[in-house]
Amino acid sequence: MVYPEPLEKLITGFCRFPGIGPKTAQRLAFYLLDRPREEVAGFARAMVEAKDKMRFCSQCGCFTEKDPCGFCTDPRRERAVLCVVQEPRDVLVLERTGQFRGVYHVLHGALSPLDGIGPEELRLPLLARRIGAGGIGEVIIATNPNVEGDATAAYIARMVKPLGVKVTRIAFGLPVGGDLEYADDLTLSRSLEGRREM
Amino acid sequence: MRLESISLTNFRNYDGQEILFHPRFNFFEGLNGQGKTNLLEAIYYLAVAHSFRTGQDHEIVNWNEEYFFLKGVFTQEKGRSLVEIGYQQPPGLKIKVDGKAIRRSEYIHRHPVIIFSPDDLRLVKEGPSVRRRFMNLEGSRLKPRYYRQLKEYHRVLQQRNRLLKDMKNAAVNQALFEPWDHALVALGGDLIRQRLSLLQTLEKQACFFYRQLSASAGTLSLRYLATVEVGNDPALIERSFSDRLKKTRSVESKRGCTMIGPHLDDFALLVDGYDAKKFGSQGQQRAAALALKMGEVNLFRVSTKETPVVLLDDVFSEFDLERRKQLLQFILDGEGQSFITSSTPIEQLVRGLNGGKKIFFVHKGKITVDRIESVN
Ligand SMILES: [Zn+2]
Repeated sequence: MVYPEPLEKLITGFCRFPGIGPKTAQRLAFYLLDRPREEVAGFARAMVEAKDKMRFCSQCGCFTEKDPCGFCTDPRRERAVLCVVQEPRDVLVLERTGQFRGVYHVLHGALSPLDGIGPEELRLPLLARRIGAGGIGEVIIATNPNVEGDATAAYIARMVKPLGVKVTRIAFGLPVGGDLEYADDLTLSRSLEGRREM
Repeated sequence: MRLESISLTNFRNYDGQEILFHPRFNFFEGLNGQGKTNLLEAIYYLAVAHSFRTGQDHEIVNWNEEYFFLKGVFTQEKGRSLVEIGYQQPPGLKIKVDGKAIRRSEYIHRHPVIIFSPDDLRLVKEGPSVRRRFMNLEGSRLKPRYYRQLKEYHRVLQQRNRLLKDMKNAAVNQALFEPWDHALVALGGDLIRQRLSLLQTLEKQACFFYRQLSASAGTLSLRYLATVEVGNDPALIERSFSDRLKKTRSVESKRGCTMIGPHLDDFALLVDGYDAKKFGSQGQQRAAALALKMGEVNLFRVSTKETPVVLLDDVFSEFDLERRKQLLQFILDGEGQSFITSSTPIEQLVRGLNGGKKIFFVHKGKITVDRIESVN
């Protein structure tokens, strides 16, 4: 059946969300229609506000409201240890373990010629500059355990090692071919402890 | 291992069909084009989640339908399991064992089923891709690791080929290639090693059967044909792969594709040292193909510690009386469950195999039980 246009628009909108099919989109849309106007308006404002105010940290690439971000400015964090991840959400996954006290570098992707992604499309030149500036003793690479994540790790290792910096790859007891974000906290903590030098 | 039953929905020319099998011999009689091979394909697919005829799952779906569904019960040493396999595009293939969803990579090695068909001769007579598919399928079925590495290898290959195409006119950037070269060599080297060991074990088994089958009592051997120098020390494959890769880079850049690696490798079946493809007589080629399949049955028997299920797709008409007898004896000695189709009258075959049996009639995608015979 065809819904009235405003409702149809809402459902189509939800449908674009990752992991949301038509049925769930419908449920979400009807749920919103059921809520008080104020609540829905607040939610809509929150979405726009997040979109307007959140940006990427110019140093590490994390999502942040203030630039540089909380991680980059926190004096209690070890600035000599740098963890490289693929996506901003991976930072939250690693933070959840409470195991890592260093700073981050988010690449925003992985090397993939098939998708037209080379070093220039990632924040790799920036990483080189950061490490070149000195003060970093170890780079921990936590890209995803798949073909693209591994290639990216190898590329970084080759780039960083000549600078005399220790490079490690987190040990994956993680499901091979999977994403970092699906790993549970315990597995991830172990992976961090068991990281090996590249 | 035994297959107790199967149910097919929209699989090739079957709309809907449920069959209970005999634990020993199952015969399927019927004219060509009625669905005998399709049934064997369904049994194989249920066991392995791959077809022995095509790599394209959508080809298997019944004409005018959008999905196919298979269900059956296997009995193994470790117990009974209910398997359900459904395919629709999208979302693709779904496999459930006892109600629990599992991936193809976790499933492919579970059930020892071997198919004998007139197409086996292609292994000897046709080009490298037939034998590569054979190595890849059997390798994957014997080791879960093989399947995973093969998939990763092909992904790396695609990435590297794209890079070669993109870099065609640009200055060759060594740093960009290095990660992909490294992955290609690591995954490819291990694949080659696993294939070498597969061929080595298979050769021992196949050689034994070839001696029985061939009139001239010749020797059958299998030789891996690599695009990379393999040498005598398998530990050195990666180094020679890597060296060759560096040397071929400039040619590869011109062509825009990776020109060495296991994706181009092959193997030869040698009779008394000569390639059966080029120098073998028709009889030697048939015997080599059959010995290879018989060897495969034993290989699976040893590696899975189960009695393999054997599928015979109209193979008896291919052979002379002597070979027919030998194949029958092989099936009898195997003591496992067999599924045998024939487009010619099967009375002689049925009499040739002592033991309980069930005889089915296949006509236009419908299967009916003709009769059941208990052990005489
Ligand atoms: Zn930051």
